[in-house]
Amino acid sequence: MSGTDVDVESLLRQLAPQVLGAVVRRYGNFDTAEDAVQEAMLAATTQWPGDGVPENPKGWLITVAARRLTDLLRSEQARRRREDTVARWELRTQQADAAESSADSDDTLILLFMCCHPALTPPSQIALTLRAVGGLTTTEVARAFLVSEATMTRRITRAKQQIKDSGIPFRLPDPEERVDRLAAVLHVLYLIFTEGYAATTGPRLHRVELSAEAIRLTRIVHRLLPDDGEVAGLLALMLLTDARRAARTTASGELVPLGEQDRFRWNADDIAEGVALITEVLPRGTTGPYQLQAAIAAIHDEAPSAEETDWPQIKSLYGLLLQMSDNPMVALNHAVAVAMADGPTVGLQRLDTLAGDKQLAEDHRLYAVRAHLLEMSGDTASAREAYLAAARRATNLPQQRYLNRRADMLADTSRC
Amino acid sequence: MKYMILTYASQQDYDGMAGQATELPAWSPEDFAAMAAFMEAFNTELAEAGELVETRALAAPVHTRRLGAQNGVPFVTDGPYAETQEVLAGYWIVECASFDRATEIAGRLAECPAPEQVTANAYADIRPIMESAAEISY
Repeated sequence: MSGTDVDVESLLRQLAPQVLGAVVRRYGNFDTAEDAVQEAMLAATTQWPGDGVPENPKGWLITVAARRLTDLLRSEQARRRREDTVARWELRTQQADAAESSADSDDTLILLFMCCHPALTPPSQIALTLRAVGGLTTTEVARAFLVSEATMTRRITRAKQQIKDSGIPFRLPDPEERVDRLAAVLHVLYLIFTEGYAATTGPRLHRVELSAEAIRLTRIVHRLLPDDGEVAGLLALMLLTDARRAARTTASGELVPLGEQDRFRWNADDIAEGVALITEVLPRGTTGPYQLQAAIAAIHDEAPSAEETDWPQIKSLYGLLLQMSDNPMVALNHAVAVAMADGPTVGLQRLDTLAGDKQLAEDHRLYAVRAHLLEMSGDTASAREAYLAAARRATNLPQQRYLNRRADMLADTSRC
Repeated sequence: MKYMILTYASQQDYDGMAGQATELPAWSPEDFAAMAAFMEAFNTELAEAGELVETRALAAPVHTRRLGAQNGVPFVTDGPYAETQEVLAGYWIVECASFDRATEIAGRLAECPAPEQVTANAYADIRPIMESAAEISY
């Protein structure tokens, strides 16, 4: 791909939500308009590199998308007439304020709120967000999630139908709903990021595109809602986590745990940006879970070496996080921090209380943590068994190889 | 952006409103007063919200004059519509944030009081108004 192609692609991805917003405002029909915008973007991808980027690229895309929408609506209406069906939908009677600006920035937010509508399942929310706001094609989204294009097409079509059926108008949610709806948007962005950071299936550990896309979209939300602490917290968390990407695997793709990573390979710019974000936002008061997780990530990233990590501080942050959510992964990380701060025996006692959790009982991470703590305590035989148990439950290959390797290393020590 | 909200009525509907029964019953004076009061309040509210550009009601279809050509020969016809044919009866031009918002505005017309034979199957159309010739050119 030449430089120009890359420029065209990033320009298109940036314009995608603005164009969709403009078309949906003008003509409604979110579901069909979204298809029309995809087709306009495809036309631009083929025409612009050769013909040059038009003087007003956004206007060009809106015009082409509006024409495609006309065509798509005509064939839909013709089909419905043949089948003698009428497309009826319930008109929402709720009266909102007439005064509403229609800036592009609002449109991007409205689209995010729509795509993360609570009526949709998380996989649908993610897929639709990546397509409608991220400007990715169905093929790209399908590839990122390792599912067939047909499956992804069905998922996106169903999601759009659900949005249509819900009858929600194209506008920001009411103020009383907004906090919850924003939480849903942030959760979807977080899921996109983690999917990219630690792929749950398949041979490759990172799917860089998804993490980068999650960061790009979160940056947009942060720009639109600069005063929201959790948005800033989430962006900081992503940057501080992604900063370690290069050090997280070896050249051959093997997983390197945090304590053994070469800290010189961490991305100093990302760390600086993430630390600055979280430092600015933490003193503001109400601290949410993303801010706490970002603060924890910042402590790791700022420690000159694994040994110098401020574990007591991390322990107390996880303690706060634990009070906010009953997420078993938080409890597991809290147990690790307890072990690092107060010794493996206390940590292992914590783990025992977690083993009863249904969500966690068969998760490889519970076994992996137990293995690490047993190894710390010097019980190599039990540690080795726990590593093997974790490897059997791990879902991606690098993780399995890493856990088996740890088990092998302990076998070597016991032979010595 | 601007949208036009269009409502329709036949000559028979106009007759009914004027208090004259046809195949359809006539409106009572109270019926008519209630509708007029609703429309006035509705229009005032739209104007105060800054969303109303213009609204008009059209005279009865019988007063229509059609100008055309047949086989190249120009003609003028008075009253080209059948008594039961529904034709444009009134319109609003609104300027608002989106198609969805214009649809909500039109939806309020469903609250307009009127005799049952009118409300039972009433409808309105909402159409985007073109901002420039570029919108139609292919």
